[in-house]
Amino acid sequence: MTVATAIVRPFTQAVGKLSAVHRLAPWLLVYLLLLPLPYVLSGLFNDYYVYLANRICIFILLTVGLNIVKGFCGQVTIGHVGLYAIGAVSSALVSLHLGAPFWVSFPIGVLVAGVAGIIVGLPSVRLEGAYLALATLGLGESVRIMIAVTPLFGSSTGLIGIPTPEIGGFVFDSFERYYYLLITATMIGIYLSFSILRSATGRAFMAIREDTIAASVHGINVPQYKLLAFVISALYAGAAGALFAHMPPGYIHHNNFTIIEMVTLLLMVVLGGIGHIWGGVIGAIIVTIIYDQTLEFYFYQPLLFGLSMVILVMFMPRGIGGVIDRYFVTRRFIGAREGKTDGAP
Amino acid sequence: MTATKNRLIAAGLAASLVAGMATVAAAGEIRVGITMRMISENGQKYGQMVMDEIDMINKAGGINGNTINATLLNDECKSDKGVANATKLIFQEKVHLLIGSTCSSVSLPIVDVTAKAEVPQIIPHSTNAKITQKGSAWVFRVPVSGRYYAGVNAKYVGENIGKKIAYLCAADAASQNDCEAMQSQMKSQHGVEPAYAAQVQEKEVDFRTHMQKIKTANVDGIMIAALAETMARALTQSYEAGIPASVRRIGSSSASNSPVPSIAGDAAKGVFFAAAYAAADRRPIARLFNEMVRKRYNINAPDHDFSQAYDLIRIVELALGRADLKLDSGSLAADRTAIRDAIASVENYQGLASGPISFCAAPTPQCRDGNRTAVLIAYTKGGENYVTEVLARVTMPADFGL
Amino acid sequence: MALLETTKLSKSFGGLRAVSDLDIAIEPGTIHGLIGPNGSGKSTFFNLVTGVYQSDPGSRIVFDGTEITNMPSHEVGALGIARTFQLLRLFSDMTVLQNLMVGYHTHVSYSILTAIFDRGAVQRYDARTTEEMMDLLEFIGLADYAEMPASELSGGQRRLLALGRAMAMRPKLLMLDEPAAGLSPVNVEHFLAIVMKLKEKFGLTILIVEHILKVVMETCDTVTVLDYGEKIGEGTPNEVKDDHAVIEAYLGQEMDDDEVRAILRT
Repeated sequence: MTVATAIVRPFTQAVGKLSAVHRLAPWLLVYLLLLPLPYVLSGLFNDYYVYLANRICIFILLTVGLNIVKGFCGQVTIGHVGLYAIGAVSSALVSLHLGAPFWVSFPIGVLVAGVAGIIVGLPSVRLEGAYLALATLGLGESVRIMIAVTPLFGSSTGLIGIPTPEIGGFVFDSFERYYYLLITATMIGIYLSFSILRSATGRAFMAIREDTIAASVHGINVPQYKLLAFVISALYAGAAGALFAHMPPGYIHHNNFTIIEMVTLLLMVVLGGIGHIWGGVIGAIIVTIIYDQTLEFYFYQPLLFGLSMVILVMFMPRGIGGVIDRYFVTRRFIGAREGKTDGAP
Repeated sequence: MTATKNRLIAAGLAASLVAGMATVAAAGEIRVGITMRMISENGQKYGQMVMDEIDMINKAGGINGNTINATLLNDECKSDKGVANATKLIFQEKVHLLIGSTCSSVSLPIVDVTAKAEVPQIIPHSTNAKITQKGSAWVFRVPVSGRYYAGVNAKYVGENIGKKIAYLCAADAASQNDCEAMQSQMKSQHGVEPAYAAQVQEKEVDFRTHMQKIKTANVDGIMIAALAETMARALTQSYEAGIPASVRRIGSSSASNSPVPSIAGDAAKGVFFAAAYAAADRRPIARLFNEMVRKRYNINAPDHDFSQAYDLIRIVELALGRADLKLDSGSLAADRTAIRDAIASVENYQGLASGPISFCAAPTPQCRDGNRTAVLIAYTKGGENYVTEVLARVTMPADFGL
Repeated sequence: MALLETTKLSKSFGGLRAVSDLDIAIEPGTIHGLIGPNGSGKSTFFNLVTGVYQSDPGSRIVFDGTEITNMPSHEVGALGIARTFQLLRLFSDMTVLQNLMVGYHTHVSYSILTAIFDRGAVQRYDARTTEEMMDLLEFIGLADYAEMPASELSGGQRRLLALGRAMAMRPKLLMLDEPAAGLSPVNVEHFLAIVMKLKEKFGLTILIVEHILKVVMETCDTVTVLDYGEKIGEGTPNEVKDDHAVIEAYLGQEMDDDEVRAILRT
């Protein structure tokens, strides 16, 4: 505990000081620190690590979105990859068939996914728990099967040659260059999720997760907020999908969006800490690294991930984020007992 | 106490990470990266066969004294994982040659990765025509490209059976594809329209009306494009309707599935389909190969997954033997180019495959789709213990289907 | 005019009539008690008023001049009816302060778009709300625990938090469902004292369901007695206490009236 305090305290104090300058200052600083990461990674290791950083960024966008609907609003959804697929396919189609640049196809992909989010979210008005999981699973799989059987959406061949984004002659055509796009989108995504979750909207989501009836009695329009959570998470999935589609080599195929991918996302969120504001981020990073380090043991990988899921749910249901929360709570508790409140964030 | 423990764990983690990342390039070692679909039992086995063959090359003294160091990764037939594997193999393992993938949906994106990184890639089992049409100078394909397959049946039928063909096409995607390809090939190769064409349900049970009409149309052959069970029913009903055996029955790609002969029984006799390898191949090389696979991996009739992987290893062995490799720390790019050029120089390799495999230097599909010959396999006996024979070998012109 | 008035309020679950043709009027500024044996329809009445249950056709509920029959819960809440639950239903994994902030939800004036795109405005607004909520926490004595998850509180503190969360809605009518259940006599006193202070301060009207009759008898201006979903008596605590029907419903006929009165007084 003392080690943890020694690490955490200067950090929280620094964040506090920076926030005092401007609320965006810590974000900007982290963003600027992360920008040269490809050079660090390819210098220290090699280009593959830049590629991994890109994968992590896409996973973060997905898990941050999933955490909003699953972790904060408490709605069990297994349709998230379907929305990811919709974002990817719609952005790809708009740029392939209409010749639109990425900057047009990306928002279209995000919006189409958002609209689809309403459909995936509709069952949540009536269903809960396992039944909602089944309904969303069905919708997600239908999306994948639609893609698999429709030639326009790529069917068995997939969509090939999805154009790479470019801006004023700068083409995002390598892992390093695409990273700038991804890290920007990811930072904005994380920041916006903070904004949403640390507002009345975020508190309404959590209230619904904790107790639907109590939330409703306290003036929260439960069906509307549930749908809102689904739509917001769908926008994240759509953004992740569109960014995935245009990432070199610009190829998507329906088997990128199966239930296995969904389980991986769930594992990330559960490991990182379901309902913890950093949960998705922590989970995406750790799972991607572990996955990479165990790549040669592919035969045992599903077993490893399956078992870790079970062990997590049994012994660490709140994930790594939960452990961190617990640490702060204990500190506050001690503070309250001693009659002073500690100013931890 | 806990703090010390924490630090120890952290140090251990860091050490293992660094160990995992630092791959020291050993001289005299040809690094080969493989990404394949390793999820099914068969997938495991032919992955194992590739590794075993490489082992045997090493045990026999390697290639020009150099050993092959192979890393096999599973891509689960998923493009994102395949791209991750290829990237890891290329940039981290610094492989000289990439083998993969078994799935078109993985090979398609990887072609761009290898082209950009300038690493030779040789494909064991992906038929999608577009893979070699991207214009990469670094890609080679061992199997028969889909663009050749599309014309094989039409070529054989037009030249050996006749031009009056009736079509029964089921509504599933694969059958629709096969049916359309055959009709358009009959038109472009022989200039004929279908003598009769009908759409049926994916799981249609009653074909009698169609069969009566086909009977009166007096055709040379009937193409039945449907999934296995549906095809078997249609075959049986074609004989019940009294269409004589002299009218040849042509199957779509699913005719190779065992329910066709076992359900259709005698009606399956004479039905043929195109493939890249026939276990019924009577050549000594094929019989030896079948025997080897049966002994080592307990598989009775190896399919083209095995034969193509085997051919690929032989071609790689041949090419690596020809390439002038330095294999030191500064020669990676030169060695990669040398291996590419060596593969491109492979000509008329006669292996298990349906025909000779030749590559050439130009980054065109004509040069990089090595095998242009498909084998037509026909059932000579239906039922559970069906028997097949090689009906014909059909070679297509190099620029066919472009 | 009554603040809350129900006319022929009925609710059946299958064949069982949980509430039957109930006419209740709650006058503004009073503390109205609702008593009756287990299963007499008290909680059902709460759930009907707050939109948790749908009432049977022919029922009518009017609150402050607005008909709220079968209105969704969140709209009822926005009109100014706050309630607590017998089983509290706190937002356990949220902090004490966050629980109150949720209670304040209907008064939040910024939209979701502001929440997404203007974090600064949200922070300023929420800072003001937080101050207000901290005052309320101070009032109920939970200010020191503001940052603590609700699940970490003791039983008595949790009841106070439920009260605070309801008060954060700035209600006109506060409905308390067995607020003293499970509290020690000292804590009951403490709790009631806070309720009375809140009533003073905010000019509340209070409807209270309670099993501990002493609480009802000491605090209520009017008491309504339910049995099998029907109203069997109404009046001041003293009137009700002497009503034969009430005594019968509560304790059965075997007991002598004087004995019953003795129990009721303790």
